[in-house]
Amino acid sequence: MRSPLSRARGLGSSRDGFQHWWMQRVTAVALIPLTLWFAASLIALTGSDYNTFIAWLKAPVVTVFMVLLLIALCHHMGLGLRVVVEDYAHSDWAKVPAVVAIRCACFALAVVGTFATLRIAFDR
Amino acid sequence: MFIRSSDQLPSVTVLRRFPVPRNFNVSTESRIERGKTWHAPADATRVKSFEIYRYDPDSGQNPRIDTYEVDLNTCGPMVLDALIAIKNEIDPTLTFRRSCREGVCGSCSMNIDGTNWLACTRFISDTMEPATIYPLNHLRVIKDLVPDLTQLFAQYGLIEPWLQTTTPEPEKERLQSPEDRGKLDGFYECILCFCCTSGCPSHWWNGDRFLGPAVLLQSYRWLIDSRDEAAGDRLDDLEDPFRLYRCHTILNCTRTCPKQLNPGKAIAAIKKMIVQRRS
Amino acid sequence: MAHDKRPLSPDLQIYKPQLTSVLSISHRVSGIALSVGTLLLVSWLLAAAAGPQAYSTLQGFMHSWLGLLLMLGWTFSFFFHLCNGIRHLVWDAGYGFELRTIYASGWTVVAASAALTVAAWFSSFVVMG
Repeated sequence: MRSPLSRARGLGSSRDGFQHWWMQRVTAVALIPLTLWFAASLIALTGSDYNTFIAWLKAPVVTVFMVLLLIALCHHMGLGLRVVVEDYAHSDWAKVPAVVAIRCACFALAVVGTFATLRIAFDR
Repeated sequence: MFIRSSDQLPSVTVLRRFPVPRNFNVSTESRIERGKTWHAPADATRVKSFEIYRYDPDSGQNPRIDTYEVDLNTCGPMVLDALIAIKNEIDPTLTFRRSCREGVCGSCSMNIDGTNWLACTRFISDTMEPATIYPLNHLRVIKDLVPDLTQLFAQYGLIEPWLQTTTPEPEKERLQSPEDRGKLDGFYECILCFCCTSGCPSHWWNGDRFLGPAVLLQSYRWLIDSRDEAAGDRLDDLEDPFRLYRCHTILNCTRTCPKQLNPGKAIAAIKKMIVQRRS
Repeated sequence: MAHDKRPLSPDLQIYKPQLTSVLSISHRVSGIALSVGTLLLVSWLLAAAAGPQAYSTLQGFMHSWLGLLLMLGWTFSFFFHLCNGIRHLVWDAGYGFELRTIYASGWTVVAASAALTVAAWFSSFVVMG
């Protein structure tokens, strides 16, 4: 029996939402050169063997770019997937666990990827 | 293929609707059934078919699609003229909103051949055969082509679409330069037909919290009005992950506006204002 | 109450697909596909860190027909998401909202993604010899 205005107002404006939108754009801008570099490197590495790949990844510039790529990629991906979940999931019991799981998974993915890269770079 | 203005019809007609089953993901009371066909009299020469969404709240039945064959020699050139001819001569129970018949009141907005437009400014010759007419999308249907716009108008009231000032009223009018008045061009002309809002997929999925292009265009109109003194408060109320940021620049709104306005651009400008006030 | 039984007018079932909505949903779908691809990227790095055996197992899968098909899909998704992403950034800066520009840039994105995918795979074959 709520009035239409009360239903439209809901719980009021959260006065937030800019940070998420802004970080999505910042990571996107960072990802343009990083992913292009990665794609070009992959093409150049086609058909190479294990040792060539390891030697390539051990180079300092490559290691740093790879870590930057992983951080920016996982952050951008997490924000994007969160928006998708918020768009399509409407009940709280579906939305909240999904958002939390995505956040944790992306963080874990970035950590695991960085660990693997640094392990290769500093090993042997 | 290359659309220059929203009044341009789609040139590619291969896909008339998204390739999903007709009653895909639809609740039981919204399932659409086949209705009856009303044939034109035998001596009719220029016959055109209209498939129209019908719903009778008193019958207790589901909505259906009725097909009407209209003799184009008996009605005017616009889709609204055909609807009026059907109501006058064939089926008086057909119900739809209409008023000005010249594209300025926004009453006769409906989904014609898959896109939202005003029935009074859409030529029958520009429709397909048969022409398909549905009410505006993802809204509760009161009857036939009449959707319930209460929620949409409530969202419009939410943004407080009136001049808000703390400076006391001057003796005459509040002054505004021609340049400042020029900034309102392209925004004040909105007739609140809600073609854009009901064509926005984001509003379909989150219409209870996302304000939609029409309301956001109007909130931008008040934000850039030089006489208004509450821009900060307006932006505070708008900055919300759902009220504003459900807009993902899909741009169905700009494509469908019957008045050639640009809600997508207005929403991007609001987002830019929020960036500006933080930097 | 009678209002609860009012039917909802159809939306996705009857709305005409246009360049605007189709490119937008494709941007979302390619983004989700790339998210799955990121999992592969991280497992590729893990395999390399684990040693030559793990790496060659993964490489073997990537060179199978399924792996190559996935790589083709990911390459196209990547270039489409990149080009359309740049189009989105231009919109966020406030430019390119005239309908003619929206359509011109949209078709440019489709053509550029296809061209870049072809170019990337062609270069890959050239490098392999």
